[in-house]
Amino acid sequence: MADNGQAHVMLVDDEDMVITSIRAFLQLETDYAVHGFTSPEEAAGHLRTNPVDVVVTDYLMPRMNGIQLLSKAREYQPEAARVLLTGHADKQSAIQAINDVGLYQYLEKPWDNSQLLLVIQSAIERTQLLRKLRSKVEELDAAHTNLKDVQGRLLRAFL
Amino acid sequence: MSDEVARLREELDLATQKLIESHKMASLGRLSASVIHEIRTPIGSILSNNDVILRSLDKLKQLLADARKQGAPPTEQSLDVLDIIAGLAAVDKIACERISSVIRSLKTFARVNEGELARVNINDLLTNTLKLTAASFRRRIETVTDFSELPEVECYPGLLNQVFLNLIVNAGQAIENEGTITVKTRAEGERVHISVADTGRGIPPEVRERIFAAGFTTKPMGEGTGLGLSITREIVEDTHGGCIWFDTEVGRGTTFHVQLPVEQKGRSDAWRTTDRPM
Repeated sequence: MADNGQAHVMLVDDEDMVITSIRAFLQLETDYAVHGFTSPEEAAGHLRTNPVDVVVTDYLMPRMNGIQLLSKAREYQPEAARVLLTGHADKQSAIQAINDVGLYQYLEKPWDNSQLLLVIQSAIERTQLLRKLRSKVEELDAAHTNLKDVQGRLLRAFL
Repeated sequence: MSDEVARLREELDLATQKLIESHKMASLGRLSASVIHEIRTPIGSILSNNDVILRSLDKLKQLLADARKQGAPPTEQSLDVLDIIAGLAAVDKIACERISSVIRSLKTFARVNEGELARVNINDLLTNTLKLTAASFRRRIETVTDFSELPEVECYPGLLNQVFLNLIVNAGQAIENEGTITVKTRAEGERVHISVADTGRGIPPEVRERIFAAGFTTKPMGEGTGLGLSITREIVEDTHGGCIWFDTEVGRGTTFHVQLPVEQKGRSDAWRTTDRPM
């Protein structure tokens, strides 16, 4: 989630036409900022420094597959939801994706736009909740440290 | 007695033909998995685009109705929606061309009449086969072609398609991760020379002798019938009077060479018994 509240969606597929189709759909139906990449390496580079709310990636791509990219995404931005959108309908890759990279959703091509939108919307919501939760936990941690500090000082004052 | 021999020979020929045919169907079956994958992407795109175009038209209709109600010209947003529609129609065209091209190659591959000798351009056969196999290789294997101008070769094109498919699929299977397949053609006097080179694992010395034997395979169940290379040799040598051999180095790759005579009629049997370079 960027500062202006706009959600950021990353699309990765070595087929440009898939990115164009989904980008057009999201442009029509949402106000999300869409970041499309045909190279998974470049997508991983983008993830290092730019926060996104959800990563939707193809599985079979040259040099780096979707699961490898999602494990990078998990490393750089653990809260960002990870979605695999694949034409390679194979149970093994689905199981591996779910187990290895904590997949949020596994979708198959050809996809249904309404379903894709629901998945992306709920993924963004989840990411934003997780980020809020993390910042609350950090606040709590800080408050707790503060409290312990006060408690220590109080104790020292009385003893 | 000679009648009996003739009958047995006929039966054997028939059985061989059936074997070649069923091997071809098996190769096509394996190929179809990658063809399906290749088609699924453009179809996914077209389906999505169609949905988005319908949604866009609804939106446009609404925007135009609103503009008319207010007596104002259509808004900037209407033009944006039109841009979306135009962009998607262009993508659909590319997607349809992709699907047609895969189907054309598949049709050419399946249709060629095996029973008839024809004069064909071997480079065209190879291009077509590479187009089909590219679907399964595209993401991990680079294919390079180095074609020379060739005379038209008198041959059974359907059978040669099968030879080239076998060699190219084998080359792809020999490459574990990423690599290159190089297909070369050269005219050599009365013959043409085709080579298929891979940068794969190479053939270990202990299996080199058996590689053309029927029923021999190093592939896991379901991946190979163990008939590919024996049928390939049969088609190249027995049917066309050509020859087939390979160079290989473990860890570096393998190159299969096929030499075919340009003319079938009047080829001397001596050609069939010339030493095969191995």
